[in-house]
Amino acid sequence: MSTRVDNIGFLPFEQGKHGSARRTLFVGLIILCLLLYVGGKVNIVRLGYQIEALEREKRELERANRSLRIEASSLSSPARIEELAVKRMGMVRPPKENIVVVKRKGSRGSSDAQTPDAR
Amino acid sequence: MEKRGRILAVLLIMALGFCAVALRLVYLQVVERSELTARAERQQERLVKLEPKRGTIFDRMVRELAVSLDVDSVFGIPADIDNPRTLAQQLSRILKENPAALEQRLSSDKRFAWISRKVEPSQARKIKELGSRDIGLLVESKRFYPKKALAGQVLGFTNMDNKGLEGVELSYDAVLSGMSGWVLAEKDAMGRTVFPGGPGFQYKLPKPGKDIILTIDEVLQHIAEKELDKALAEFHAAGGVCIVMAPRTGELLALTVRSGTSGRPSFNPNTPQQYKPAEWRNRAVTDVFEPGSIFKPFLAAAALEEHAVHPMERIDCSAGSIQVADRVIKDAHHNGVLTFTDVIADSSNVGTIKVATRLGKQRFYKYITAFGFGKKTGLDMPGEISGLVKDYRLWSGVSIGSIAIGQEIGVTPIQMAAAYSALANGGTLMKPYIVSEIVDRDGKEGEKYAPQPVGRAVSEDTVKKLTKILQRVVAHGTGQKAAPAGYTAAGKTGTAQKIDQKTGLYSKEDYVSSFVGFAPANAPALVILVMIDSPVGIVWGGSVAAPVFKAIAEQGLAYLQVPPDNVGGRMLLVAR
Repeated sequence: MSTRVDNIGFLPFEQGKHGSARRTLFVGLIILCLLLYVGGKVNIVRLGYQIEALEREKRELERANRSLRIEASSLSSPARIEELAVKRMGMVRPPKENIVVVKRKGSRGSSDAQTPDAR
Repeated sequence: MEKRGRILAVLLIMALGFCAVALRLVYLQVVERSELTARAERQQERLVKLEPKRGTIFDRMVRELAVSLDVDSVFGIPADIDNPRTLAQQLSRILKENPAALEQRLSSDKRFAWISRKVEPSQARKIKELGSRDIGLLVESKRFYPKKALAGQVLGFTNMDNKGLEGVELSYDAVLSGMSGWVLAEKDAMGRTVFPGGPGFQYKLPKPGKDIILTIDEVLQHIAEKELDKALAEFHAAGGVCIVMAPRTGELLALTVRSGTSGRPSFNPNTPQQYKPAEWRNRAVTDVFEPGSIFKPFLAAAALEEHAVHPMERIDCSAGSIQVADRVIKDAHHNGVLTFTDVIADSSNVGTIKVATRLGKQRFYKYITAFGFGKKTGLDMPGEISGLVKDYRLWSGVSIGSIAIGQEIGVTPIQMAAAYSALANGGTLMKPYIVSEIVDRDGKEGEKYAPQPVGRAVSEDTVKKLTKILQRVVAHGTGQKAAPAGYTAAGKTGTAQKIDQKTGLYSKEDYVSSFVGFAPANAPALVILVMIDSPVGIVWGGSVAAPVFKAIAEQGLAYLQVPPDNVGGRMLLVAR
């Protein structure tokens, strides 16, 4: 079986039965590479969309979380709490005569007074 | 031959066709290259401006007072809209806006126009459901004040572009606003972003604004607002100011201002457009008033410091009036011979003026300025003024008498609160401040503001003597209604005549009623100033403003867990 080597472009290709098979294999490989490349690109685009959708979902959840925290903050305003305590629960401020001050032995009365900073 | 000719003709047509395609390609690729590239970039790339998140404002216990929310804004592409009238009518039903105004916004050849900014979530959902390709939604940041009107004038507000316009929002705008960023994203035919973070992805992240922690306490602020509002309603007053300060540090714990409140809700920074500028102005720093009798303790402090008088020295006030230059100044009530302590406790103008004359204008002026009157306190709020204090060399003959009883001098409520804080702080004047900390979200160390002494106004010995005098005001004098249950207190009442704008003389109907004091008297935790503008009917500071002081002191001291020092025997001693 004779084998002849020719140059097609810069790549050597064998003529004959084996040469034809190799050529087909080579072209197939190139097509496979191209398909892989294109497939990869398509996959990147698809993942890009997925990332964006997930980012959007994350943003929405963060937004909802923040809104709930602010709603909680709004509902805990002192004006609302006082109104609920007085009107709904019937709470009252104790009169002076009902207050008993518990003092530690040895403390010096008003010198214990706390400033807002000491709280 | 004929067949060959046909083949040649077909080849020629094909060759011409290829030549035409080639020429067109050359034209597109070479001649129109730059213009087409620019057009493609415009269509495929999107420069998205990234707004920085404005910093949050917290109270001293890190409770949110001003926050930024993400909300949707509606925009349109007027150049692409075929029928602006129909679209405007659809939008007006959702946005509750005038359809003519919307149509005007939609009828232009612009590529972008705001239709409505910062809309409600339900409105945004309905806009999305419209499914129009010519209108869209962009997320923007909106300032929101979860506690509504609480500390409205302190916080201030922002405009539509989140720029601070009043209050802390204005004075700390540069700190709160941060730096905007951008991202150059590629988009597909559907307008969706492709390749976030992919090659060639250019961006600059926005730098969020810093958070601010105030010295204000939202509970004390609520107490001050509630009690001031009650008094304003009871006396049908035109307005009022209440300041609560920590005397040892100069921190403002509550600051509330009410203007033109008759039937009007207090200023809510969530809807600033519903209020007049006078209603959001912080009158505690921007307005001066003649203090009246609440200024007398500073004459007393000066006279005691200079040993011009002794607290128990007897002063004859029986005449009921005194001539000062060309003016006769009278007492509100007839008094006999009073000790100097009782001169202040009963607020005798005659006795005060006699001591002031003895002290002399130069020495009196020295202490007026030492207590910080006549210059800005440096409080970090916009629009502070320095008040009106004339140099003693410009005083007329009557000035020493007038100034001693708090006339012919203009002070701001914040100056007055700071000066009383000096009396409650052993004689040292502290600089009042409202921001205690700036917090950097990047994790870098923030900025903390420490208490700042301005200087010593009088000695501790003088302060002790004066505190006893001011305690007598509350225990037996004009300020008895200020006595808080369970606590000792020291303070002074004031009933200052306002100037009648028509006549230029002191009005006999229009007054500023006030009370300033501190509690507990011997270890002050709070300094409280209450000023009520133009009460109707009863006008005396001891009847109008003193009860507000009492209510705020009782609730405020209990909230701060300050042990009562005046409970009259109901005290239970326990071992450690």
